[in-house]
Amino acid sequence: MAKRSVLGLYIEEDSAADALDHLRDAGFEDHEYEILTGTPYPEGTFGEAEPQHHLYRWPIFGALTGFTISLFYTSITQAAYPLLTGGKPVLAIPAMLVILYELTMLGAVIFTIIGIIFESRLPRFFMGAYSEKITEGYIGVTVTTDEDRTDKAEEALKKAGIDGEIIRGWE
Amino acid sequence: MATRTFDDKYPGQPFVQTDNSLESRKELSDKFLGIYNDTGSQRFWQISVIFGVLFGIGLLGYFWKIFATKDPGDFGYYAALFSFLMTTSAGAPMVAIGPRIANAHWRRSISRVAEIWTLIGTVNLIVFLPLLWVMPSLDNGRRSLVFYWEAKGDWWFPFLIKFSGHIWTTVSIITLIVLGIVLLWVSVMPDLALIRDNAPDGWRKKWASRLSRGWIGSSWQWNWQRHRMGTLGALYFMMLVLTHFFISTEFLMVHVPGWIDSLYPITHAHNALQGGVATVMLTMFVVSRIGPYRHYISLDQFHGLGKLLLALSLLWFWFWFCSFMIFWYGKKPSEQAILKLFVHGPYFPVFLAEFFFVFFIPWWTMVWNPVRRSVWGPAIIAISVLIGTFLDRVRMYVSTWDVAGISADKLAANGGQFSDEYPRNMMLNMTILDDPAFDRIMIIKNFEGLPVPTSAVLPTAIDGVIILGFVSGAVFLYMMASRLIPVINIWEQKELLLYNAEVQFHRAKVKVMGKPR
Repeated sequence: MAKRSVLGLYIEEDSAADALDHLRDAGFEDHEYEILTGTPYPEGTFGEAEPQHHLYRWPIFGALTGFTISLFYTSITQAAYPLLTGGKPVLAIPAMLVILYELTMLGAVIFTIIGIIFESRLPRFFMGAYSEKITEGYIGVTVTTDEDRTDKAEEALKKAGIDGEIIRGWE
Repeated sequence: MATRTFDDKYPGQPFVQTDNSLESRKELSDKFLGIYNDTGSQRFWQISVIFGVLFGIGLLGYFWKIFATKDPGDFGYYAALFSFLMTTSAGAPMVAIGPRIANAHWRRSISRVAEIWTLIGTVNLIVFLPLLWVMPSLDNGRRSLVFYWEAKGDWWFPFLIKFSGHIWTTVSIITLIVLGIVLLWVSVMPDLALIRDNAPDGWRKKWASRLSRGWIGSSWQWNWQRHRMGTLGALYFMMLVLTHFFISTEFLMVHVPGWIDSLYPITHAHNALQGGVATVMLTMFVVSRIGPYRHYISLDQFHGLGKLLLALSLLWFWFWFCSFMIFWYGKKPSEQAILKLFVHGPYFPVFLAEFFFVFFIPWWTMVWNPVRRSVWGPAIIAISVLIGTFLDRVRMYVSTWDVAGISADKLAANGGQFSDEYPRNMMLNMTILDDPAFDRIMIIKNFEGLPVPTSAVLPTAIDGVIILGFVSGAVFLYMMASRLIPVINIWEQKELLLYNAEVQFHRAKVKVMGKPR
């Protein structure tokens, strides 16, 4: 079924927070509504769900990959050209530490960049229901849901006391 | 209506109400948009035209230099200009990145002032490209950070090996520039959305719409913007250090036989931080005192950045002295020659002037509270630091390229013999190496001693034109960018409304600042 989005504008933060309460009471899921603001509010100001991401996994995975590659690389090269230096073992950990550290860090950094690109998803081409008043300072609550549930969403938004009319759009 | 208040959540705890009403938010947006929509005073355009014309003349000098100069040694001032631009403009964004990571509120009104300098990377790139042609490949026996061997295989493999120094440096510089521009774009996107939504029709609204495509200000977007800016900022810092590492080794240290100093690359990077702070200090002075942002860039910003400038100026001495005393106490012939070349030889007056401008003046002025806690004081000191930084680049690069740069013509004129006057070989044309008279052993022998030039190289008229032209070009590009990009970060200013309150504390009024996270 086609998705439609509706937007209610609020002047006060508390009204926007109430709108989210009403939406939850009306059976809407966290992923169906969003808060739109012209400035970043501290997370949880409106009682919204904290945005979920898995960015932290990327540097860990990258660091492990970098460490593995560096361990393999330094071990193999030393084993391939076994030069005894100063009576030290061929596979000497202190001599490998710098490369182990650097490739571990490099892996973490590269994977973090990839993670950011991947987790950011694609740019948003369709803005859905939107109002230019958001950047002026109004607080918007937008609901993107199935077409047959938009009435219910509008009702929940209105209950919190919207400023002006409901704005409709599509995804 | 179920309205939750602070008391419901934290009963009995005192709290300060900030003025974050719709009216305040709107008033702030309108004020900034009003300044932004003003197309600039007549004086702004007059100054722009002057800088633009100087840039045009500088470009003519640039092409003249490329096509008419054969001797790489004559590129000393040119290399100094490149390094100066990399030191000042590329270091400036760190003023936005560092305090933002530390959540310092004072940075809010100057973070964009600093970030716009990332665009000047494009000018740096124009200056950098000819140096790739001037710099010899590794197969002429020059020193390098990068390993070299006579690789066999398809054409591209020996090419990669021969030019690996060039390739790494280019990749590093381009990555730094791209990172900087992306950082600026991510930072400016919410403000472009504001312009898209509220500015009158015109080319700026059109560009703002294109560049802010998809920005609606959802909490998800804000959350990701914070992550992106943090990561990009950290990466920018890492790339800045790496780029200065490459520049200071491939374009400087390797060309002076006997110059072995593990501290110098990070000294070069430190100079970029100091130069960057001075650049932002001067820019914010111009933007606030000559431009229209006096109300937003106040003593707080000058004081905050002034302390940083003082610390970095003291650090300049630490870096310089650490390197100096190694050579001083080492006293090997090559180390004495290095000191003579860079400190007490033909460039002694430049060194003295630099020492005075970049360390002594900032130190002896900024230690005094009245100077540090003023607007004029730090701005004047910033000019002193920038002059000192430029002199430093001249001293290091011109002397180095003089030592290293000897053309085939000059050598041939000397009967193909190295001598006291022509002892250098780092910039030799590769074809000379085909001549058995110039085998590598001879070159390496000449590395052992470093006869220091007896006189300093003075800039030619073309050098002067290029230096003036490209510094003007950087300012011109900045001024043009300020027509599209708001010079003050509007969304960060609006965010401050959430965290800033003035309250009565006994008999005094105090400012209470919150921390977002």
